[in-house]
This record gives sequence, structure tokens and C-alpha cells, in this order.
Amino acid sequence: MNEPRSAWRTVLLAAVATAVAVAFADSSIVVLALPELYGGFDTTIEGVAWVITSYNFVLAVCALALVFFVHRVRAHVLLAGGAFVFLGASIGGAMADSLEILVIARSVQGLGGALLLAGSLPVLGALAGSMARGVAVWTMAGTFGAAVGPAVGGILTQVFDWRAIFVAQAPVAGLALLATVGSHVAAILEEGWKPPLRRTLPGNVGLALVSGALVGALFLGVLLVIDVFGYSPIQGAAIVSTIPVAALLARPIATQLPVVLAVGSGAGLLAAGLVGLALLPSSALGYVLASLALCGVGLGLAVPGLTHSVLGGENGVASKATLTVGMRHIGLVLALAVVAPILSTDLTEAADVATLNATAVIIDGQIPATTKVPLAIDIRDALERVPEGEIPDLSAPFEEHGASSDASVARVRDDLVASIEEAVTRGFRRAFAFCALLAALALVPVLAFRRRLVV
Amino acid sequence: MTRGHATVVLFALFVGAVVLFGVELARGAMDAGALAVQDPCEPREEFPGEGLDATLQRIVLDGLDGAACELGTTREELVLSLAPASGVEIAWDDETIEEAVRAGLLEAISDAEERGSLNALVAVVLREVVERAPVQWLVDGGQGLAGLF
Repeated sequence: MNEPRSAWRTVLLAAVATAVAVAFADSSIVVLALPELYGGFDTTIEGVAWVITSYNFVLAVCALALVFFVHRVRAHVLLAGGAFVFLGASIGGAMADSLEILVIARSVQGLGGALLLAGSLPVLGALAGSMARGVAVWTMAGTFGAAVGPAVGGILTQVFDWRAIFVAQAPVAGLALLATVGSHVAAILEEGWKPPLRRTLPGNVGLALVSGALVGALFLGVLLVIDVFGYSPIQGAAIVSTIPVAALLARPIATQLPVVLAVGSGAGLLAAGLVGLALLPSSALGYVLASLALCGVGLGLAVPGLTHSVLGGENGVASKATLTVGMRHIGLVLALAVVAPILSTDLTEAADVATLNATAVIIDGQIPATTKVPLAIDIRDALERVPEGEIPDLSAPFEEHGASSDASVARVRDDLVASIEEAVTRGFRRAFAFCALLAALALVPVLAFRRRLVV
Repeated sequence: MTRGHATVVLFALFVGAVVLFGVELARGAMDAGALAVQDPCEPREEFPGEGLDATLQRIVLDGLDGAACELGTTREELVLSLAPASGVEIAWDDETIEEAVRAGLLEAISDAEERGSLNALVAVVLREVVERAPVQWLVDGGQGLAGLF
């Protein structure tokens, strides 16, 4: 007799979990759409970066503000309000005809995301039958959502356009809204007890540092693979999907290890993966995949343990969840604030190095002078024709000068492309290293307060 | 999966990370993408090949090296500085560059003649060209290279 009701609860659980995954994914979901937004709105790098920063900043600030009174509000009201605001902002984002409108829509989405995430955990606990199961679903949805964000955004951008990212989010928020209306779980959701949040601080600091480190694996990794190595958004999405796949594969390992060992090893492997990305010797995909796999396993080991440690216990989960959401996004925003200027400075320097190295390749290229000089002039012309924000295709001038039939011209082309790719890849090195440092620093609260991590 | 298996997998992952770093370093990770232009004052490997084209390229490249060495810059910066659009800042006026390039090319022609890769008649003609022709012919090539970024 209870089966239909149980099935209905599972559907509602899936709807809310998907909304949680999308709210976490939104931190990075527009990364692959940035070049299209940059060209479409004729803006600056700093301007287009606000499409990411605004969501994460508003979400972090609202979540931290909500911590102080979230326990006095019914969780399903928060979830419904958040889903409604998120739904409206997603539609607004899809319809935005200027960067300013889009950034406003993203900010409102951040507000909706904070409300939605603050109310979602108690609702998931009620729908799953116990808070422990609710925490497991919430943690899995959050980890998976954050990791697949760029991949989903990349696929939607390439198949349709950037607006599809927001169009796709609207029904997810709508379903979460319906779930709160249909769940009939309101009676057990009100929380009247404020938990001792101070005890969760080490775990939350660890989560903030891991989230900051993820800026390297997700944001920088995606930019490197698509904008430097020249993969399409869908190919880039497939490459970056190594992270969520590895994170899922790490789950059985995490469940068998003591929490401190799992979390500490996870932070260490995440740092190792980022060091691997910082040390890329070329654009060969194997190094990138191996490094991203290490990042994914590290994520799969560290985040569940840290999340469970800060959400442990039956009481006050909404406050705890809201605090951890705020801390995760604070970590992300602060990391972005440091990484962006490092990357900008280093890429400017890398462009100068690439210019000189590429010039050396052409000058020393073992091709006749009668090919060399016109080829150099054609490369210059090709670069001048490229619209702002687009990556030049240097293969065309080489094709015109016989690269397909002349091995020496093809060799100069390959050397030129490799010299530019290597110089620009090196420009990412310090930013990756900084993110690796954040992951390594996560070990400090983990080891210093290891007793508090054991739930 | 048991705890023992999980520990072994974890150990293997860390070993894998160390192997990855080792392979990356062995493949030149430390130097990959670093500035790879040579000191023009130091001897470098000769441009390979035979025939007039290779000989002329050797002379031009040696000449550029000589000029860059004289000016205290690199051959690549010198080439890029010949094109204002490259954005490469130059510390010398056109006359200084022209003098340095002419001197470098003349020295390169003499070296080629001494090595026997250039016969005396061609060397005389080339010297006349270098002494009298405007350096602008180099600029055309330089502009093409300068457009790389």
C-alpha cells in the first residue's frame, strides 16, 4: 500500500536533489559560455568575469547572512522561495539582452540558490526518511553538481547557445518548487534549535579551501583545454568530466577509510592533481586526464567526509548546511579574486614569450626564404583579421603555403603552434600552483582538528 | 571493497601521482614554454642546407645576430622592432638599427666568404646591396613575424 507513496517520495527526492546539484553547478556552469558572452556583449574580460563572480558572491553573502535566522524559518518555505527566485532569475538570464541584465539575473540567481540550498537539506532528510540519508543525497548532489557544471554548460553552449544554460535551469527549479508543494513534509521541517556552529568551523574552513582549489581544476582546466589546446566545448566537457567520474569511483574507497585519512588523502590528491596541471610539459591529453583524475579522486575523498563532519547530527541541519554553502562559495570567490589577477598578469607575460618564441621558430624554420617571408606576412594578416576574443586559426596560412604537401612547412607549423601553446600553458602555472596550495592548506584544519571531523 | 583494499588503492594513487610528476619533469616540464631565444653574441648552430637560398638565409641570420649583439638585444626582438605594429618597444632610433643591421650583414658576408660557402663575386654583389639598399626590405619580413601577436 505504501509503494506508490514511496515512489512519489523518490520522485520528489530526485527533483530536490537535482535542484541542489544545479545550484552548486551554477558556480561554474557558464565558464564555457564566457567566450560567446565576451563576443556577444562586446565587453571586457573583467566584465564577463562578473557573470561567474556575481552568482558566487551573492550566494556566499546571502548564505552566511541566512545562518543567523534560517533555524527560525520552515525549511520547505525557504526551499520554495529559493526555487521560485531561482526560476525567475533563470528566465531573466535566458532573456538578458545586455551584460548588465545578465549580471543582475545571475545575482538574483545567487539569492535564489542560497535560499534553495539553505532549505533543501531538511527537506531531503524528510523525503529520504532520515537526516543521515538526506545528508548523503545532499552531499552527493553537491559534489556531482559542482564537478559537472562546466561540462553541462559546455554541451548546452555548443549544441544551442549560452541562453540554453538558463533555459535548462528553469524547469529544474520549477520541479523543486512543485516538490515542496507536494511533499507534505512541512510538519517535521521547522527547526527551533540553533546548533553550536563553532564546532563545524575546521570542517568548513577545509571545505572553503577545497572549493577554492577547485577553481583550478574546473575553471582553469576548462579554459586551458578549450581556449589554449583548441578542443571544442563538447570535447572540453568530455575531458573535464574526468573529475566527476573519478569522484564517483572514489566513493567506495572513501566509505572504507577513516574520515581523517579519507579527507587528508583527498586534499593531498587534489593538490597533486593541480601540481600535475601546473607541470604540464605539453598539450598532450594524457597529462591533463591523469591530473584531472587525481583531482576528481581527491574531491570524491575529501568533500563527503568534510561535509558529513559539518552536517553531523539530527538537529540544526539547515543552519549547518547554510553555513557550509556560504563557506564553500566564499572559498570559491576568494580563490577567483586571487587567481584572476595572477592569470591575467602571467598570460600577458606568456603572450610576450610566445611572440618571441614563435618568431624564433619562423626565423629558424628550415624552409626556403621565398616561403618563409610571405608565410610570416600571411600569418600577420590572419591574426589581424581575427575578431576580438576569438582564437586565431594559424593552420590556414600554412595550408596556403603547402603544409599539406610539404613536410618542412608542416613541421614549422607544428613547431609554431607547439611553441605558442607551451608558452601560454606555462602562463597558467602559477594559478594552478596557487590552487594546489589551497588544497594542501586544507590539510591544516583537517589534521589540527581531526577529532572534530569524526562524526 | 575492504579497508585493506581501499588503503592499497590509495597508496597506488599517490604512487601514480609521483610517477606523473616524474614523467612530466622528464619530458621537460620545467623548461616548457619558457623563453627560448638564444644569446645572439654566442655561437649557435648554423642554418642547415646548401645552395643560394640556404647561404643567403645563413648570412641574414648571422647578420641579425651580429646586429642584435651590437645593440644588446635578441635577434627576435630586433626583427619585431622593425615593425611598429608589433608593440615591441625599441630603445634605438632607426639610424642606429640600420647601422647595426648593415654592419652585422657585412660581417656575416665576410664570414661566409671565409668559410668558402660564398664565392667572391657573389660576396661583392651582396656587399654592394647591403651597403646601398634600404633596410626597409627587411622590415617587410619583420612585419610579418611581428604580427604573430
